[in-house]
Amino acid sequence: MPDIAISADKLTKRFGKFTAVDEVSFEIPYGSIFGFLGANGAGKSTTIRMLCGILEPTSGNGKVGGFDVQTQPEEIKDVIGYVSQRFSLYSDLNVVENLTFYGQIYGLEGTALSNRIKEVLILTGLDRFRQRLAGDLSGGMKQKLAIANAILHQPKIIFLDEPTAGLDPLSRRSIWELLYQLAEGGTSLFVTTHYMEEAERCNTIAFISDGKLLKIGQPAILRHQLKDQILEVACQPLMKASRLFLKLEGVRGVTVYGTTLNLNVIDQKTVEARVIAAAAKEGIVISSIRPIDASLEDVFSDLDSRKAEHA
Amino acid sequence: MRSIWAIAKKEFIQISRDRRTLSLLIIMPMMQLMIYGYGINTDVKHLPIYVYDQDRSYLSRRLVNAFTQSDYFTVRTQATSLAQGYSALDKGLAQSVLVIPPDFTANLVKKKTAQIQLLIDGTDSTPANVALNSSQAIINAFMQNEKLIPVQVLPIDFRPRLWYNPDLKSTYFMLPGLIGLVLQFLVPMITASAIVREKERGNIEQLLVTPIKPYQLILGKIIPYIFIGIFIATSIITTMHLLFVVPIHGSIFTLFLLTLVYLVVCLGIGLWASTIADNQQQASQIVMFFAMPSILLSGFIFPLESMPVWVRGISYCIPMTYFLKIVRGIILKGMGFFDLIDQVWPLLLMAFLVIVFSIRRFSKRMA
Repeated sequence: MPDIAISADKLTKRFGKFTAVDEVSFEIPYGSIFGFLGANGAGKSTTIRMLCGILEPTSGNGKVGGFDVQTQPEEIKDVIGYVSQRFSLYSDLNVVENLTFYGQIYGLEGTALSNRIKEVLILTGLDRFRQRLAGDLSGGMKQKLAIANAILHQPKIIFLDEPTAGLDPLSRRSIWELLYQLAEGGTSLFVTTHYMEEAERCNTIAFISDGKLLKIGQPAILRHQLKDQILEVACQPLMKASRLFLKLEGVRGVTVYGTTLNLNVIDQKTVEARVIAAAAKEGIVISSIRPIDASLEDVFSDLDSRKAEHA
Repeated sequence: MRSIWAIAKKEFIQISRDRRTLSLLIIMPMMQLMIYGYGINTDVKHLPIYVYDQDRSYLSRRLVNAFTQSDYFTVRTQATSLAQGYSALDKGLAQSVLVIPPDFTANLVKKKTAQIQLLIDGTDSTPANVALNSSQAIINAFMQNEKLIPVQVLPIDFRPRLWYNPDLKSTYFMLPGLIGLVLQFLVPMITASAIVREKERGNIEQLLVTPIKPYQLILGKIIPYIFIGIFIATSIITTMHLLFVVPIHGSIFTLFLLTLVYLVVCLGIGLWASTIADNQQQASQIVMFFAMPSILLSGFIFPLESMPVWVRGISYCIPMTYFLKIVRGIILKGMGFFDLIDQVWPLLLMAFLVIVFSIRRFSKRMA
């Protein structure tokens, strides 16, 4: 079995004049979690659809589970699982009925099916809710059921399109625990999200914006690349300060965090001095100013602003 | 195969849990039966008639009696003036007014022609025609019975016979047609709703990613509605036969077989509507739009023969037109499969076209 689960080579999708996905390329091995980050409309869902074999690419190639996305879409469907953005459950069927349905669609039957259903129920913690109608489950439970539906046929590749959208932090954590378990078992997970803190949990992440892949890498390494570039400034008044600092030379971007500002700067030392000077002139009180490690959000806005510079 | 069964089973569960649709499926046919069976009656009887008898003789009373005894008329009032009669016609209290002049008996005794006048409200032509014809018949019978004319031996012995529906009961005509009507409305509606519901709720996307093929999805969705359609047809036929005592002369097997063909056409319409509609409301509107002409143009109430040629052309594109002939043919006339072949092949053609067309359209949507 090849150790690359999903690969894309200049995958492109155009809708008329609009390019939704622009020559996206990457390789994802088995047993890892790949995070695909981007704003709404950046091209995440379109990319997933192409990889799942339900949307034909305009150009480029892709291989999923060893099958080509252009020529073998039907074979791909047999080996992948998919958890869509909206809950795709049958709310008037109960948990077991939902699972039975999808199991049968994927070719399971009889005792094999009922055994597998039992396994999956325990794995996702839904065992107690067997008879509950899917529409009566909480958001987190619904999504776990959606994941359960997707893993019945034990696919080695699972696509999850914003699996935790709209869920509370506890549900989100519990779903990620489930995803880790699956990855540990050798499954390759392709997750799209726009929660930066979830991106931290992935093995590899890619940033996509306006259809273009901006960067791929491991979260820690990406953050490290922005080392010495972030200044944290606690000051008052906050909004006036943020507007002021944005105009300073050497400041690429400012992000507001409640009581502090994160400045994305070219060089910490020189800009620090400039900031202190500007603040003093405009009557802004700085209570603390120090360099900090970049977060993934900083990485993302850095990429975005660089893109704007190049545009 | 397993996939088709999985979809069908899921549909059955969903239908059984959908109280609203279930009650619609049971209540609506029954309601239509009650309305058309008891309520709507095109038999024109008991027309209200005022009588202004100025003669008030033994003979004139016997004439009025002849009208009273007729099923077609109900003598409401003995009017005391012509003005009262006119007013009754204007107000709609009477549909006709019988005026007997004071010299009615006198003239007959003198062997002169006696004149009687019948004023008829011509606004609604159907009862007007009935009043016209039946009053003539009553007068003729009266003349014979009272020996006002010599007993004649007529050169032509004319004996009309009413086959299939000798009492001309409109229920015999209407109720079999109801099978076609109810199926035409209900089946596309619930089929389209079922498919569109998945679109609405985003389940379609999840299904797209699975190995299921479009034809499996369609067949699986259709199967429960075939059963439902048969159930509806059966309940109408049973109620019609047991409650309204409409006799069934032909083969029940042929009836169900051809109902099945008609059902497939209805299912196809529902399927096709589901490829156009984005939500359940739109689906029912589209189905309504296509089913409405069926009431007026299929021969359900108004005969095809009385329609102008170009309208009849539209009628021949409506599946219910053929099905009505089939169902009335089997139930009332005892026709067989091959007698009805002229109605069967257009239905088969429609069934084939609508299913193929819809599947192609549906598959394109899915792919």
